[in-house]
Amino acid sequence: METFFTTSEKIQHIIKSFNLTKTLYVSSIIIGEAHTGKKSLARYLFPNAILVSGFDQIEVENALETHDELIITDFEKLSNQSTLDFSNKRIIATANYMGNPALIDELFAFIYSMPSLQERPGDVDFLKELYIKEALSTLMIEENTFESDEIHLNLSKNSKSLKKSVFLHLVKHSMDEKDIKGVLYHYLFKHLDGNDGYREHLGLYEIPLIEAGLKKFASQLQLSQVLGINRNTLRKKIHEHHID
Amino acid sequence: MNTTSIDFQAFIEWDNSPFILFSAQGKILYLNNTAEILFGYVSKKELYDIALSYAPQNFGYKTTSLALNYDSFIFHAITIGYENEEQISLRLYSTPRIKPSRKIETDKLIVTDINILLEANIALFRTKNTNPLTLLTDQDLPPFKMDQNNFSKLLRKIFDTFRASDSIDISLKLLVGQHVIIENKKESIIQLAIHANGRYADTDNEIRTLSAENQIKSILNEHSIKLEIPLIQ
Repeated sequence: METFFTTSEKIQHIIKSFNLTKTLYVSSIIIGEAHTGKKSLARYLFPNAILVSGFDQIEVENALETHDELIITDFEKLSNQSTLDFSNKRIIATANYMGNPALIDELFAFIYSMPSLQERPGDVDFLKELYIKEALSTLMIEENTFESDEIHLNLSKNSKSLKKSVFLHLVKHSMDEKDIKGVLYHYLFKHLDGNDGYREHLGLYEIPLIEAGLKKFASQLQLSQVLGINRNTLRKKIHEHHID
Repeated sequence: MNTTSIDFQAFIEWDNSPFILFSAQGKILYLNNTAEILFGYVSKKELYDIALSYAPQNFGYKTTSLALNYDSFIFHAITIGYENEEQISLRLYSTPRIKPSRKIETDKLIVTDINILLEANIALFRTKNTNPLTLLTDQDLPPFKMDQNNFSKLLRKIFDTFRASDSIDISLKLLVGQHVIIENKKESIIQLAIHANGRYADTDNEIRTLSAENQIKSILNEHSIKLEIPLIQ
């Protein structure tokens, strides 16, 4: 059976309300940003319900005629919402935004708003661990040698961007010299052009080198010794690449 | 000329509009049946003050258009009159209720436990608000027929008017001894009352319309909303 994990009090109230009305013929809608788990929540609460997408008006209309229980995803995409008849049906709709508030108010008895991941720190931690496990197995990384706190989590697109940031972090950490050369090869193959290519792409090597070096060795003097270049040369390069 | 003396007291006694006769000191000398019930909702002093404020300047009778609202009593005019210095009369005109023309299709309604819908709406309210809320309900209320979706919508709108209230008290009980006739059947009534220190009134008209559609009598006040819901079996 599917489960839905959350530590958010708000979502727990939504689940409670749904559980109470599960057997009733009422229409409900969950509105919230994309990738916040609206569809997963509807699936978890109504595992046996038919699921149709708002991208297809005809499919929704046909399903309404033949079924009493229905999940309609992407409700805001329906081309004609006002013709729908929800009387004595159990409707669970999800939408990324409200659209026409008066119509939503008219059609739905229960209007829930799904909080974004930004408002659910507990859920972010849970999803992060989940995606790390998934990434480790997908990327076939055996030993996890990194601190999960180091991952820069991007929540701008909720779980989608969160997952991407976890995967990218793990990919970067699992690369060896050969992989990095491969990545650079593809990049350079695509972008190399003009008559000043050497200087233009030198930053690909020098910027990470200096940034990592400064972080690791604190002073420019020390770093210039480690790199085996003159302190003035290092200063010039820092200035050139706008580091600091 | 008609010299027969007619005693009009019984006509006044059974009039649907309240009639009260005050003494000059504000004591009640006489009140009819309807006025007796009205005093359950308004104080003697308030009505006496109204009588004095709207009294004619000289002996005689004066009718004033005035919207008054005491719980389920709604008045649209009053007549104040006095013929001597000792007595002053107040008559309040009840506003007729519009009978809903929409017929209720009882066979399309679904038997529902109102407590479940109430709990679900409280949970919905909780997703948006953190106001303290108390619920006093009767878990033994029998399930009854309703339009689940429409009734839920009504509850949502009512709860929304309390979105900024400090403390919200909800009570649900059977109104013992009160009935309503729906489609020639006598049905019991349950009362849902929500009290708070204040509320928004922006959707009051929608609440009235939705209530009427559900055959529910709604009483909307500054601090409270009461619904009288027929227990359609």
